[in-house]
Amino acid sequence: MSMIFRLALIGAFLLAADAWSAPETGPVQRDHIEVELVAETLSVQPGGEIRVGLRMRPDEGWHTYWVNPGDSGLPIRLEWTAPDGARVSAIAWPYPDALPIGHLVNYGYEGEHLLPATVVVPADLQPGSTFTLDLYADWLVCEVECIPGDADLRLELPVRDTAPATDPDHTGLFAWADSRRPQAVDWPARFSTEARQLSVSVESREALSAEGLAFFPAEENLVDHAADAFVAVDNGRVQISQRLSTYFTGAPETLSFLLVDTASGQAWSLQAEPGDLATSGDAGTLADARPNLALVLLLALAGGVLLNLMPCVFPVLSIKAMSVVGGAGQDQRAHGLAYTAGVVGSFAVLAAMLLALRAGGEALGWGFQLQSPWFVGILIYVFFAMGLALSGVFEFGSRMMGLGQHLTERAGLRGSFFTGILACVVASPCTAPFMGTALGVAVLLPWPLAMSVFLALGLGLALPMLALGFWPGLARHLPRPGPWMDTFKQAMAFPLYLAAVWLLWVLARQTDPNGLALVLTGMVALAFALWLAGKRDRNPTLAAGRHIGVALSLLFAVVALASAARFEAQAPAEGTAWWESYSPERLEQLIQDPERAVLVNMTADWCVTCLVNERAALNTEAVRRAMADNDVVYLKGDWTRRDPVITNYLARYERNGVPLYVAYPRNGDEPRVLPQILTPGLVVQALENL
Amino acid sequence: MNHRLISSLIVALLLGLTGPVAAAPEVGQPAPGFNVIDTQGQMHSLADFAGQTVVLEWTNHECPFVVKHYEPGNMQMQQRSAREDHDAVWLTVISSRAGEQGHVSPEQADELTAARDAFPTAVLLDESGDMGRAYDARVTPHMYIIDGDGILRYMGGIDSNPSRHAADIPEATQYVMVALEEMAAGQEITHTVTRPYGCTVKY
Repeated sequence: MSMIFRLALIGAFLLAADAWSAPETGPVQRDHIEVELVAETLSVQPGGEIRVGLRMRPDEGWHTYWVNPGDSGLPIRLEWTAPDGARVSAIAWPYPDALPIGHLVNYGYEGEHLLPATVVVPADLQPGSTFTLDLYADWLVCEVECIPGDADLRLELPVRDTAPATDPDHTGLFAWADSRRPQAVDWPARFSTEARQLSVSVESREALSAEGLAFFPAEENLVDHAADAFVAVDNGRVQISQRLSTYFTGAPETLSFLLVDTASGQAWSLQAEPGDLATSGDAGTLADARPNLALVLLLALAGGVLLNLMPCVFPVLSIKAMSVVGGAGQDQRAHGLAYTAGVVGSFAVLAAMLLALRAGGEALGWGFQLQSPWFVGILIYVFFAMGLALSGVFEFGSRMMGLGQHLTERAGLRGSFFTGILACVVASPCTAPFMGTALGVAVLLPWPLAMSVFLALGLGLALPMLALGFWPGLARHLPRPGPWMDTFKQAMAFPLYLAAVWLLWVLARQTDPNGLALVLTGMVALAFALWLAGKRDRNPTLAAGRHIGVALSLLFAVVALASAARFEAQAPAEGTAWWESYSPERLEQLIQDPERAVLVNMTADWCVTCLVNERAALNTEAVRRAMADNDVVYLKGDWTRRDPVITNYLARYERNGVPLYVAYPRNGDEPRVLPQILTPGLVVQALENL
Repeated sequence: MNHRLISSLIVALLLGLTGPVAAAPEVGQPAPGFNVIDTQGQMHSLADFAGQTVVLEWTNHECPFVVKHYEPGNMQMQQRSAREDHDAVWLTVISSRAGEQGHVSPEQADELTAARDAFPTAVLLDESGDMGRAYDARVTPHMYIIDGDGILRYMGGIDSNPSRHAADIPEATQYVMVALEEMAAGQEITHTVTRPYGCTVKY
C-alpha cells in the first residue's frame, strides 16, 4: 500500500467520525467531570463588562490542567463564539496545585474550580433581548487514567438597561478564582538553562520566605516537574533552580512563571529574560542554549565597554587619556583607530589561540594565562615598571610606550596600537571572572561565531577611546594640561603597585617562598636597570658601563623569574583545615555516602569573584555552622595553577572558568549549581536543603 | 546542534560520576539494553537486532491517545512503512503493571494486534516496567528510534500535535516517519527530541 493511499484512508475515516452537536446550557456531565459555562451576574448591560467562566467539577481524585500541564497531561483548549461586537479576554488562569501522579508531577486543579474570562458586551444590544455566548471546551481529565472530553457550552443572559445583579450561586466560584489570581509584577528576573538546570533569579520587591514558596513555569517543556525545585531567598533575592526536562530542546525567549506563597495563598506572575542577575548587562548573558547572533554580539560589545570600568584597565586608559590631553597626536582619529586595532587585534589573537588549542583538544579555560608563573611574573614586571615610570624614576612612558610629546607621528600611532594591546593584557585579571561564563559558551560555539564574539568584546573595550578619536569634541570635556598632570601621573602609580602586589601574592601561591624571593629580587634588579637607563652622562666609558649594567640587571630579572617558575607550590596542610582538597575519587566516595552531602567550590587565587565569595559567604561562621550541622563535606578545588582534573570538572558544567559552586544532596540526587555571586544566607539555605 | 552534543557529553559524565541514578536515555548515545519476553514467549534483546533500525512504541490500548492513532490507522500505517519501506524492526511495548489499565495477557495482546490490523515485529510484555524505566517511557504512545549501531536517534511523541482528535493527524508532523526517511536519506534528523504526549505509563 502506498503511503498516500493510506493517508487518504485515514482522511476518509476522519470525515466520517466528525460529528456536530448542539451547544448545551447549564451543567453538562461528561466522563468523570461536570462542566458549565457560568456568569458572575444574572444579566448584561449594553456596553458593560461582565465576568464569565468555565466551571469544572472533576470527580473526587480527578483533576484537569493548568497552562503548563506538567510532566504529562494536556492544557484545556477553549474556543469562544461571541456575538458581533463582543470581546472575550484570555483566561485569567488561577494558580494551580502541583499534583504528584506516580513518578511524574502535573500542574492542575482538583475539586470544583473556575477558569474566568472577561467579556465586553456590545453597546448596541437591545434591552429585552438575550445575550448568547458559546464556548467549545476540549479537556483531559485524569486520575491515573486520563479521559478526554469536550462540550459545546452556551450561556444565555437577558439584556437589561440596569447594572447587572450578582448571581449568588456563582460568587463562591469567582471568589475562589480571585483568591488564586496571581498579581502581575515586573520584578527584575533573569534565567539560564546552564548545566542541565533551569536557574531563575528574581529581585523581589516584597518580603518573601523560601518556606512554602512554589515555582510554576508556564513553559511546557522546560523543567522536569517531578524534580524538586530548589528555592532560596536572601536579601530580597529569590534563587530558584530545577532540573531541566529530558525533552528540553531550547530556552524560551522570555520565561513566564508564577511564584506562589503556599502559606498565605499569595501569588505573583513574572517574566524573566535570559541571563544572570548578578552580572546582568555584561557578557554573562551569552549563556543561552540558542544564541541569537545579533543579540550575542550586542551583549559582547556592551560587555567590552563595561570592561573599561574595571580597575585593571583603568590605569592603562588613564595613561592613554593623558596622551590625548597632552596633544600627542594631531590626528586623533588615527590614534583612536590605532588603539582600536591594537585591542581588537589582541582579542583576535587570543581567540585564534583559544580556538586553535580547542581544535587541538586542549582543555583550557579563560584566565588560563594566569595559571602560568611566567605570565604572572612578566605581568608583575610590567606593572612594576609602569609604576616606576609614573612615579618618575625614569622616562619610561615617553620612550618605550610612545605616549609622550617627543615622539614622531608614526611612533605615536604605534604607541596607540601597543596601548591597545596592553589594555587587553592587563585587563585579563579583572575580566576573567566576569567573562568566564560567556567565554565558556563562546568557546563551544562554531568558530566564526566564537571569533565574532571575541572581536565584539574587543571593539567594545576600544569604543570609548575610538569615540574620543572621532569626536575630539569629547576631549574638550577632559581637563586642560598643566602641572596637575604630573601629580596625577604620580598618583596613578599606586594602583599599579597594588596590582603588582596582588600578582605577587598569586605568584606566591604558584611557587613557594623561595620563588617569591627570587621574583622580588628580580624586581629590584629591574628597578635598578630602569633607574640606570634613565641616567644621563657625557663620558662614553661611563655610558658603556651603564648599558652593560642595564643589560646585566635585566638579564638577572629574567633569570630570577625563570628560576622562580621552577618551584612548585607546596600542597596546603590538611587536617586542621575545615575543607578538603577536591579529587574526583573523594567526590565519588562522598556521593555514595548517604550520610554526607557535598559542597564543591572551584576557585583560583587570581579570581577576584572567588575570593570575595569565600570571604563574604563561604568562610563565615554561619556557613561553617550550617556545614557542620548538615554533615556537609566542603571540597575545594584550586585552579590557580593549571589542573586538567579541575578543567574537566568545569567542562562538565559547561563552564570554562571559575568560580563554580556545586552542591550534592546526600540522597544522590542530581547536584545543584549555585549562583556565581554568593551570600551567607543563600549558602546556608542551599546547605539546609541538601 | 552543539547544545545536544554538549548535553550528551554532560550526561555521560554525570552518569560516570553519580553511578546508578535512573537517568533518561540520551539521543546520540547507546540506547539502554533490554531483555523482554514477547507474546509468543520469545525473549528479545536489543543486541539481537544489531544492524537493523529498531522502532519502540509504548502502548496501552485503552489510552485515548493510543486510540487516536490506531482508529484511523495512523499507527498501523507507520508500522508497515517502517518495516516494509525501511526494513526496520518495530517493537510495541506494554509496560502496564498487572491490574493496571492497559495490562494484557499474551493472548489478549495478539487479539488486539489482529483486531486492529497492527503490524509490529513483536509485542513485548514489560510487566515489571524495567524496560520502560530504562527508557524513561512516560506516556503512551512514546516513541524511540535506535539505529543499526544501537545508538538512540529519536525519542519523543508520535506527532507534533498533542491533541486527542484524530482529525488533527493529517496536519501534524509524524516524527517517526520523518526521522526514518531522513535516516534512509543519510540526512541529519530534524527532530531528535520532542515532547511525548499521551496517558502516563501505568508502572
